[in-house]
Amino acid sequence: MTDMPLSDTAAAPRRKAASLLKQDARTRRRNAAEKRFRLYGAAAIAISLAALLVLLATILTNGAGAFRQTYLNIPVALDAEVLDPRGNRDPAEMARVLTTSYGRVLDAAVRDTIARHDIRIEGLSDDDIGGLISREASAQVRDRVLDDPGLVGQTVEFDVLTSGRIDGYFKGRVTMDSAERDGNTSPQQLQLAQELADRGEMVTRFNWDFLTNADASDQRPEAAGLGVAILGSFYMMLVVLVLSVPIGVAASIYLEEFAPKNHLTDIIEVNISNLAAVPSIVFGILGLAAFINFVGLPQSAPIVGGLVLTLMTLPTIIISTRAALKAVPPSIRDAALGVGASKMQSVVHHVLPLAMPGILTGTIIGLAQALGETAPLLLIGMVAFVRNYPDGLPGGLMDPASALPVQVYNWTQRSDPAFIERASGAIIVLLVFLLCMNLLAIWLRRKFERRW
Amino acid sequence: MYDTSRRVENAVTPNDIKIQARNVQVYYGDKQALKDVDVDIQDKTVTAFIGPSGCGKSTFLRCINRMNDTIPIARVEGEILLDGEDVYDRRVDPVQLRAKVGMVFQKPNPFPKSIYDNVAYGPRIHGLARNRAELDGIVERALRGAALWNEVKDRLAEPGTGLSGGQQQRLCIARAVATSPEVLLMDEPCSALDPIATAQIEELIEELRTTFSVVIVTHSMQQAARVSQKTAFFHLGNLVEYGDTDDIFTKPRDSRTEAYISGRIG
Amino acid sequence: MPLSWALFASLLLATAGFLVGRSRAFAVAGADSRVLHSRPTYHGYSVALTALLPALAILAIGTILRLMDMVPDAAVPVVGILALLAAVAGLGWGVTRIGRGFQARNAVERMVLGLLMLCSLIAIVTTVGIVLSLVFETGRFFQVYDWKTFFFGTEWTPRFQGNSELGIVPLLWGTMYISLIALLVAVPIGLFAAIYMSEYATPRIRSLAKPAIEVLAGIPTIVYGLFALITVGPMLRDYFAEPLGLGSSGSSVLTAGLVMGIMLIPFVSSLSDDIINAVPQSLRDGALGLGSTPSETVRQVVLPAALPGIVGAILLAASRAIGETMIVVLGAGAAAQMSLNPLEAMTTITVKIVSQLTGDSDFNSPETLVAFALGLTLFVITLGLNIVALYIVRKYREQYE
Repeated sequence: MTDMPLSDTAAAPRRKAASLLKQDARTRRRNAAEKRFRLYGAAAIAISLAALLVLLATILTNGAGAFRQTYLNIPVALDAEVLDPRGNRDPAEMARVLTTSYGRVLDAAVRDTIARHDIRIEGLSDDDIGGLISREASAQVRDRVLDDPGLVGQTVEFDVLTSGRIDGYFKGRVTMDSAERDGNTSPQQLQLAQELADRGEMVTRFNWDFLTNADASDQRPEAAGLGVAILGSFYMMLVVLVLSVPIGVAASIYLEEFAPKNHLTDIIEVNISNLAAVPSIVFGILGLAAFINFVGLPQSAPIVGGLVLTLMTLPTIIISTRAALKAVPPSIRDAALGVGASKMQSVVHHVLPLAMPGILTGTIIGLAQALGETAPLLLIGMVAFVRNYPDGLPGGLMDPASALPVQVYNWTQRSDPAFIERASGAIIVLLVFLLCMNLLAIWLRRKFERRW
Repeated sequence: MYDTSRRVENAVTPNDIKIQARNVQVYYGDKQALKDVDVDIQDKTVTAFIGPSGCGKSTFLRCINRMNDTIPIARVEGEILLDGEDVYDRRVDPVQLRAKVGMVFQKPNPFPKSIYDNVAYGPRIHGLARNRAELDGIVERALRGAALWNEVKDRLAEPGTGLSGGQQQRLCIARAVATSPEVLLMDEPCSALDPIATAQIEELIEELRTTFSVVIVTHSMQQAARVSQKTAFFHLGNLVEYGDTDDIFTKPRDSRTEAYISGRIG
Repeated sequence: MPLSWALFASLLLATAGFLVGRSRAFAVAGADSRVLHSRPTYHGYSVALTALLPALAILAIGTILRLMDMVPDAAVPVVGILALLAAVAGLGWGVTRIGRGFQARNAVERMVLGLLMLCSLIAIVTTVGIVLSLVFETGRFFQVYDWKTFFFGTEWTPRFQGNSELGIVPLLWGTMYISLIALLVAVPIGLFAAIYMSEYATPRIRSLAKPAIEVLAGIPTIVYGLFALITVGPMLRDYFAEPLGLGSSGSSVLTAGLVMGIMLIPFVSSLSDDIINAVPQSLRDGALGLGSTPSETVRQVVLPAALPGIVGAILLAASRAIGETMIVVLGAGAAAQMSLNPLEAMTTITVKIVSQLTGDSDFNSPETLVAFALGLTLFVITLGLNIVALYIVRKYREQYE
């Protein structure tokens, strides 16, 4: 060896020959730093988990109320003179009677009930009695009567929606104090509601209508439901599924198994990873400019939403499908080629079935992302107020509809605080859907654990 | 150049016992990887651990400086005494222990830093130098000690990862030496190197033992014979035989040792 | 769906083509099907595809032209009939091709490969579509509005009656301020969480904490938006802004920034986790073997080695933050102003894109067209960040592969 003799190395500064059993001051300091560092890490995890818990708890506590609704059970005397002035029980004639008339009938029914139970409340005004039930209630009764004109003239028991404030009172959102300052209700009205509830006429129970009703206008949050939004989201997911899976899988197979290494495929690859990171709202602008303004598809239609979401989901599906294909060992391709299969046969017969669980998992996760996406849908007009259910397939794809996350946004823009409860409830529904999709993905992954 | 003196030297060096292992058992989960290992490792001696793959020789080596602590499922029983103190005592800080018992790994693993920073890393964390000049001195001595100084003295600021494989491994040795350990553990340090680089490392080991107690795990029996004074043969988690290298290779007492060195098992 | 009958008929023709092709192949082969180059099924597929593909192409083009009003309603049946004729012609041509020497399998595979290739081009088509739609409309915007005022104007006051001030600077300011706060929250927490999980956590804790943090990533942004609106915003207003006299609005830069930071935690932590795990174990062993503590190993060896990858991850997170919409729409407010006070409401590019493009829009007024210019600016900024970030991350991966 050419370097200097090692005897010099021995003269290197040595630490005092300390016992291993005692920590020197420096080690103690370093260990304290170690503990602090570890604590930061644990704190980071704790903060993330706490954020998750607070987030979910807020949504759950705010939204749980949306699944319960207060109804007033009253016998309504369906006065034939008001509801069927010609007296011939012809639905076409009766349809001319407006909801205001039904409102008068309902008002009378409420007064009867109050009188029957002999409820007396100091300072109870007519407005308080009229405002007890929802404006939607008259429409409710009208629909029922038009369905069955034979009811006119009888006294029929109805479960009518109470107004949002009364409903809020039973859920704790509205209090006597807040009612004092509220133009839409009064302590007397709440007292009346309480008396009726004590007598069993007013009940708060599970609210199926929340899942099936259409949206309702600003003044009647108690009637607003998710029916149209769920249907719209379902239609869009169908479009996404039908388009993005075949196209995504085909593109992945080409890129992973067949594509030559050249400039074009390089560009495609860079493109796909960039598209995956393009802000979603840009896809909304694309949808607006290309599908609505250029091609001329209708606004608010699930088909447009589906197309936009397809374009957004494709990169996700392509990336995960390619990962699944890559995970199939080359030996399996070689084995198939070795017995004289063509490249295409080796892919279709062997590689694709083995990659299927990974592809399915990636697809479900892509769909879940698409289901929760909001921003691009705002731009293609899905915020519009939609009262009517879209038609069945395939024509319904062209009808205006809403979507779950957009409905949430829509409700946050309303002034009545009862809509916050609705919005949180809608999020619970959305999260349940997402949870189911993710559980399905996990189940698939477990079930088809790698077999090689 | 010292081949002629080597046998003589081996015979005359009187050695204190540096490491005493008593009744060491190692488990990975439910699987026992090492059974009842008893061994005395002498100071200023090269001790080689040989044996077929998976025999537990590396496992035992990693017990000595408690590198097995980094594997969550590993569990060690028994005691390993360094200068009479049990390294598995609850009061022992593995950090302090590893400063005394350095380690060189199978694959050269220089940090993605400059050559200088690689060597200065240990002294810095353990606070061995009071100022820059002292640190420079330590780095230079360590690089000379690892027979690398002349090759790298003009490019100390370049990244350590840019060196050749053999140079990288010598850099790792310099890095270990710079901390002034008392024991140097080497886990197959030449397995990733070509024959020329291997010869350089072997020469270096010979020099290192004048300062440290060196324990080397090796796959190559020739290497064990060339560099070590003591050899331990491991087989299926047992320490089968331990003794002077010459004895192990010329007149093994155990039939398994004989079978291994003659190439029948392994 | 006026052309669905034509589609249905084409599919029927294709099925018939498959059956005809296969039976004809059997007939040509006689008793021994081995004399054929390809198995009879492939002859069937070949005929089906030659019948179906031209018909599909005609139907697709026809539908698009119809939607763009370039084909009158009356001509729709013509398109359908054209498609059917193409299908019949394709079928006939396919059948005539069948023979002993016809390489049906190769023909089918060529057609399928062509289809696969077509599908992979959709990514490029999308990008081109985005760029075209943005550039075209932005061009129209700059015809009616001065580009210098747009890029350097510090006033954002759109008016219905025209004469609007449409300067992007206050929007850019809000965007950057909120993104900065989001990154200040997400990067330390995400990074430390990743470090804890990869270097310290026992497998048990890791198997619980990692999926829990990933749940945060699966939550749609509208949920975060609502969280900002109903919880974080009022809380910051009641406990910080009003007592300190710094503002009275629930929507603020801090509200949106905090919530967006929470949203980005899993993004930063999972990317960093991948990157930290890509640092070879041998480097950690080397440092630990020299007697460094785990935290010294992380700070002095693992993080420096992983730095390029982590920088890439942060850039990707920044691009996410800049392009995020729902959280800022619900949490940041709509006031276009430039202030340093984080408890004041400000607004971002994405908020203004939404507000200019929802509702009744007149696609000739600068107030609407400005949204496309904003979109293009957003696209260019995020694309730039993404390209740089992906380049860094890819380079980093190569280093340890």
